[in-house]
Amino acid sequence: MKPNTVWPLAIVLTKSQLRGYQRSKLLAKWFGNPNIIVILDTLLIVILGTIGYYLISNLPPDLMVVTERLVVEGLIGIPTITTFMIILFGILSELSQPIQSISSDLVNWLPITPSDYVLGSTLSLSYTYSFLLAFFLGLTLGPAVYFGNGIILAASAVMGVMSLFIGSSAVELIRAVTNRISSSFYRKSGRSGIFARLSLTIIVLVVFQLIFSGRVIASVLGRLTQTVATVWYVPIMWPSLAVQTFSAAANLAPLGFGLLSLGFMFALFGLAVGMRRAYWVPVPVSISLGTQPYQASFGTFRIPGLDAAESAIIRKDFRSLTRRREMARFLAIPFVLAASLWVSLYPFGSSSEGFGLTGIIPLYLIPIAIFCEVLSMTSIGQEGSAIWNLYAAPIDAGKVVSAKMSLTIILGSVFTCGLLLAVALLSKPGTGETLSLLVLGLLVVIEESALGVYVAGRFPDFRETVRSRYVSLSGSMLGPVLGVIVALLTAAPMLLNGIFQTVFSSLLLEMMIGFLLIAVFWRLAIRQVSSLLTEIRV
Amino acid sequence: MSSVDVNHVSKSFGNRQAVTNVSFSVRGGEVLGLLGPNGSGKSTLMKTVVGIIKPDTGSISVLGTDVARDPVAIKRMIGYVPESPRLYEFLSGLEYLDFVSDVHGLAKGERQERIMEFLKALDLESRENELIHGYSQGMKQKLAITAALLHHPRVLILDEPLNALDPRSARIVKELLHKFRDNGVPTIFSTHVLEIADAICDRIIIMDGGHIIAEGTTQELKTKAGSSGSTLEEIFLKLTGTSDTRDIVEALGR
Repeated sequence: MKPNTVWPLAIVLTKSQLRGYQRSKLLAKWFGNPNIIVILDTLLIVILGTIGYYLISNLPPDLMVVTERLVVEGLIGIPTITTFMIILFGILSELSQPIQSISSDLVNWLPITPSDYVLGSTLSLSYTYSFLLAFFLGLTLGPAVYFGNGIILAASAVMGVMSLFIGSSAVELIRAVTNRISSSFYRKSGRSGIFARLSLTIIVLVVFQLIFSGRVIASVLGRLTQTVATVWYVPIMWPSLAVQTFSAAANLAPLGFGLLSLGFMFALFGLAVGMRRAYWVPVPVSISLGTQPYQASFGTFRIPGLDAAESAIIRKDFRSLTRRREMARFLAIPFVLAASLWVSLYPFGSSSEGFGLTGIIPLYLIPIAIFCEVLSMTSIGQEGSAIWNLYAAPIDAGKVVSAKMSLTIILGSVFTCGLLLAVALLSKPGTGETLSLLVLGLLVVIEESALGVYVAGRFPDFRETVRSRYVSLSGSMLGPVLGVIVALLTAAPMLLNGIFQTVFSSLLLEMMIGFLLIAVFWRLAIRQVSSLLTEIRV
Repeated sequence: MSSVDVNHVSKSFGNRQAVTNVSFSVRGGEVLGLLGPNGSGKSTLMKTVVGIIKPDTGSISVLGTDVARDPVAIKRMIGYVPESPRLYEFLSGLEYLDFVSDVHGLAKGERQERIMEFLKALDLESRENELIHGYSQGMKQKLAITAALLHHPRVLILDEPLNALDPRSARIVKELLHKFRDNGVPTIFSTHVLEIADAICDRIIIMDGGHIIAEGTTQELKTKAGSSGSTLEEIFLKLTGTSDTRDIVEALGR
């Protein structure tokens, strides 16, 4: 390993990661500078530490004992949580990276050895995600100083840095594996490989969201100190065990677990280097979808009321959603939102009986609204630089709008029915209520589809970068907010009056509001897409 | 009567003037070559003819239809290959061609026949079920050319169509262009390979800095350049003011 190669490489990779996330030129300039990270990390620790110290000083005396115990638990948990977070962020980043950017990686043809690359990339990942460690240390700094646990904090910080490297090496390992092994798998299995990748992505995202939902974190943190001692054979826990044994004033155990952690870090690093050496340059994936002789697909999957061009756009967009790994996260949205909202807010068990329809409606409508809104508002930007295909095609704005809306309506309706089934099983609403919820859900699906296409045309972002949003920052903030407002506005008659007294009148009023909003958004979307199609922007 | 008329077209992007007051026409069955250094405005001009870039001033008509007034009708008539075409990489080659056929409303029987003909001619036959993502640049180019020609276009706008093609496929595309010319289809064709322009084009326009600096047949250009025995490359370098290549190469080779 040559430091003269590793260090510049680490800096370039850090800049690349930081700037890849920034859409604004100004933000890219400021936050793309690695020195800024040091300043931000320090500021984060100092500010959170000061706030924490102030808050802890003003706690009622009866809470002090519990808080002190929680602080020590937190300090023990920092190394393990840091590793988990980096691995999860790393996987998420890997999943949302456009496939083109991997095979065109500069390092594939520069004179850089696998070990140089892995070390450079590990340093860069550790540096980029150092804000996580800074955040956890900042949170515990104030209370630790107040309770005189400064020395445990220092031990936690040292092991936390080691955990940063452990997590980064693990991410490197995952990257090397996905580079080559997955491509061989997809090539062999074609469609089933694509489906497996999609399902896996959705599961990873849902698990990620659930792990970091308030309830689950509280439960995990509470049990961590007990668990950590019983799982001494799990290497990822060793840094936390080093802190725990240190806090318990054990003699040799902290040193032992510290050395084991160091050994584990080097072992992971060595494994990542080995994998990189074996699977260095990513092989372009050639996925074959079949060997059958060609049969023109004219007329298949034609949707009533839509012509061949509109149906073709819908089929293309569906394939885009299911085959592009950076698009799979959008299909995960409804599952992620529904799971996290219901897990956090729904009173499972006996107390659910008092949870009426007014409580259920937001939990039911918000995932539908946000899923449809996000899917629809990314429908134009996701075309990327291939958008010229639509510009050069003999189709008008109306067809583009109806095709883009239709896919969202189809997927949104399927999700609405699935969610309604889950609601029916959980809350057991009456037939009238169930039908009203169905109509309400479908109205919201259509409204959001139209509103989303308007936002997509008004704020498109065709850049294909890591975690592309496919809609500008303004659009990505405005769309979901408007989407939730529109959904709640449509549900207002049911939310305000209560379904039992005025089931039909509230349904009628909702339909009137819904159809009016759909007509308005449809017109706006057509106008916006017509204006967009006047001149290509990429 | 001209098939394509470009009248006083100008286009700027912010402070950069891409095309300045350009006028020309193309007759039916004529192949017009657009030559010029990188950034001379060729691709922008071609996009204005296709109707995907709106000129700031001037007008364009294709087969009597104003591009600004009815861009959808123009796109129905045109076969367009952009410079470095980006295709939908998540589709297979066949799915992409099916998509283009659907968009152009090609009937099932005709579509099947034409797609198979093109795939066979351009050596894509065994790879048509693979995702475009796995295609080489040359294969993507062949697919883009096939997509542009599937619907029997009445006008061809081809921006460096022979880029990355293997010699056999390049030859087939050139022959195809001759066939289209024989059928009276006007073609606007840009290239950096001057021998190809010399061999294919009936007339050549040389652009530089967004302006037309010369126009005519190869023979007329030689006369204008005052060097009747020169090659098209020598004329091009002389007209675009880039003939000092020897000094540059010597400086770089030191």
